[in-house]
Amino acid sequence: MSGISILNIAKDALLSHQTAINLTGANVANVDTPGYSRQRPIFQSVGSVEMGTGQIQIGVEIEKIERMYDQFLEVQINEQMHGFGYDETRKEELGKIEIIFNETQGGGINELLSEFWNAWGDLSENPSGQPERVALASISQNLAYMFRSYGNDLISIQDSANVQIYDLMGQVNNYLTDIADLNEKITQMTTGRGDTNDLRDKRSELMKGLAEIIDYQYIEDASGSVNIFLSNGTSIVEGGKTWQLNVKANPTNSFYYDIVLADDPNEESINNVINSGQMAGFLEIRDTTAANYLNRLNNLVASIVSEVNTQHGLGYDLDQNLGGDFFDPTMIEAKNMCVSANILSDINKIAASETVNGDGGNAINLGALKDTNVTIAGETATFNSHYSSLMARIGQDVADGSRKYDHSSSFMDQLVNKKENISGVSVDEEMINLMKYQMGYNSAAKLCSVADELIDTLLSLV
Amino acid sequence: MVMRVSESMKFNTMIDNLYKVQNSYNELMEKMASGKTLNRPSDDPLGMSRILDYRESKASIEQYRENINSSKGWLSMSESILSSANDLLVNAKEIAISQSTATASAETRSIAAVSVEQIINEMLSLTNSQYGDRYLFSGAKTSDAPFSSTESPATIGTPAAASGNTFDGTVAAGAGPYTGAVNKTYVVKIVTGGNFAAAEYQVSDDGGETWGAVRNDLDTGTITLGDGIDLTFTAGTVDVAVDDIFHVDAHVEGYYNGNGEELSVAIGKNMNFAYSIPGQSVFTDQGEGEVDMFKTLNDLKNALEANDPDSIASQMNNLDSGIQQVNKYVAQCGTRTNRLEIAETNQSDLDYKLTELISSTEDVDMAAIVTKFSMKEVVLKASYSMASSIGNLSIIDFLR
Repeated sequence: MSGISILNIAKDALLSHQTAINLTGANVANVDTPGYSRQRPIFQSVGSVEMGTGQIQIGVEIEKIERMYDQFLEVQINEQMHGFGYDETRKEELGKIEIIFNETQGGGINELLSEFWNAWGDLSENPSGQPERVALASISQNLAYMFRSYGNDLISIQDSANVQIYDLMGQVNNYLTDIADLNEKITQMTTGRGDTNDLRDKRSELMKGLAEIIDYQYIEDASGSVNIFLSNGTSIVEGGKTWQLNVKANPTNSFYYDIVLADDPNEESINNVINSGQMAGFLEIRDTTAANYLNRLNNLVASIVSEVNTQHGLGYDLDQNLGGDFFDPTMIEAKNMCVSANILSDINKIAASETVNGDGGNAINLGALKDTNVTIAGETATFNSHYSSLMARIGQDVADGSRKYDHSSSFMDQLVNKKENISGVSVDEEMINLMKYQMGYNSAAKLCSVADELIDTLLSLV
Repeated sequence: MVMRVSESMKFNTMIDNLYKVQNSYNELMEKMASGKTLNRPSDDPLGMSRILDYRESKASIEQYRENINSSKGWLSMSESILSSANDLLVNAKEIAISQSTATASAETRSIAAVSVEQIINEMLSLTNSQYGDRYLFSGAKTSDAPFSSTESPATIGTPAAASGNTFDGTVAAGAGPYTGAVNKTYVVKIVTGGNFAAAEYQVSDDGGETWGAVRNDLDTGTITLGDGIDLTFTAGTVDVAVDDIFHVDAHVEGYYNGNGEELSVAIGKNMNFAYSIPGQSVFTDQGEGEVDMFKTLNDLKNALEANDPDSIASQMNNLDSGIQQVNKYVAQCGTRTNRLEIAETNQSDLDYKLTELISSTEDVDMAAIVTKFSMKEVVLKASYSMASSIGNLSIIDFLR
């Protein structure tokens, strides 16, 4: 064993600790980088030499740089991300719907409906009174306006969800392309020495982003690339290849998008394959929740229009004609409800009387419609009760939605903390490691100078 | 194994918890500021729907109370007019008593006739009183003055076609005479349009509220409505069409132009209340009425003018039953007002209860909320002071 070999050992040790210090530096620098997994040098002794008494290890090297990472946790986070994206979207959108229907301070449809029935009551007291007729006409217009504005607000929630679906489709395609790119790079560069750590971190981050939008399954194959499938097993990423998503017009409402696979010649909708994530959230709001509220509102409007018109038609106006339509019978959706143009142009056409003589009997009957039970979609109740039950339904959905969101976001927090526990950078830890590596480096340097002295001593003998 | 705490974990946990505290702090602040526990439907979905129902009931009650008040006004005015009418009749009776005796002379009788004439005029102006612009005693025909000063024979009015009819021919009434017992409005409604041979119609004798059987005998152009009324249609350029309306008023002999219907308003859920007293029952011998006041008074006047003590005496009985007839309705005004008062008490009790229910559902318990609020304030302050010191502690401070 020569003095030169001690220098070699010192050199290896210096280099290895230098690398370790660099890694610590990298970890500290990335303390705020999302998705960054801390890296750790794995030291390993190299070479051995036969001494009289046995073998001794000489030298050290960094065998590999380990990416601190829990694969199973990653799977769990991705899965949770689907639910989180879905719950978050629903909570946000339901919150917007709730704002439309917030009548806690009064002033909404409920109040206008009451005013509408009361206006008939006022008219019944003075059937030929012009002020009462004017008041009734204007309250009816307000009521119709309020229904229209609620209806259109709901429709615009659906429309904006539709736009979001299109945007998300574009984002999904970008994610797919980027993931496939990284797949290719990772398979090309896999050397086992940790060169792909950075790329893997990036890919995990992309997959997390994708997981927030749509639900998927994935497996990592031996070459290091991930293959991603939709919930029905349709492949969307395989190695470097992607199957992009596209949209087509919904068959029942051509303004709405259905999601399809871009290369599917049949253009079969895969809306039902997307069960979770933001996209599913928007699909659910657009096609189920908001559609359902709108439907109930429309049914209520149709029922009010038909009941009021029927009763109105049994009475006589001030010119002794049988009552015409009070609400426009062709406009029976919330978005287009309106008072008949004939009534608005001549308030004497309001049929308040039960006879041609101008009593207020029909106005009483119309006012009494408020206590009449009507059956809408199988439920029998008064108009106001139908409306307040819709309100209760919306309130309940919003409350459920935000409860689910709270749950999945705190679950998500815990998972992220768990991941941080393994992959996150702790500055305290890095500082201690730094001291450790510094000590190793200092010792190696000392070794150098000792070896140097040893050689000097030897040389001075000559 | 010891849990590693990374930098982002420290900050994330801090921020998360800060948000949570701020959120509940904000919620409490909103409740305190608005005074309501219910600020959006999701705060209490069932409570919200209950509140909407309560509010709807409260709005109805308001309407019922309004109706009750205006009916009370109508009734109190009716009552005072009927009392005055009663006084006038008593007056007339006194005249009849004094002028039927032998002490009265042709001269006193002719002076008395002038007094009776004044009584008739006063009676006319009383019975033609209006509440707002509606006549109190004309039944449902509130825009027509109920009584005229002269007696008219049984008449059939000119038939009128509703302004919205498509039919442009003419309608005329037959000569009659009208044989009905009370004033009526007949209405003809076309239910199947077309030329006269094809057309079908229905007839109503109560102003168009209820309808008889569908008839198809319009082919000759003349139809019989009943009570001696015939209508003759003359075709124009356009045939009759569905819902064309023709109506004709028929009056019995006498002074009354109104009808026998009572006006109603809603004073409770499914509770309609008739508040008007038709002049027909009070002042005529038609329908429920037995004595015709104007006829009696005019007969008295004529008897006085004719200086006919027997005929004067014979009006005393009529005046007696007339006074009773009017008195009956004075009393009825009182009972109806009582009923309204009971209804009003009920409605205001209900209103009070609803107000309480709404308040207990949506109003904040201030004492409880202020306590909670100060607790949250302490927590929020602690969170802030923790947040400000989170970066202070690091091993770096201790490394030399």
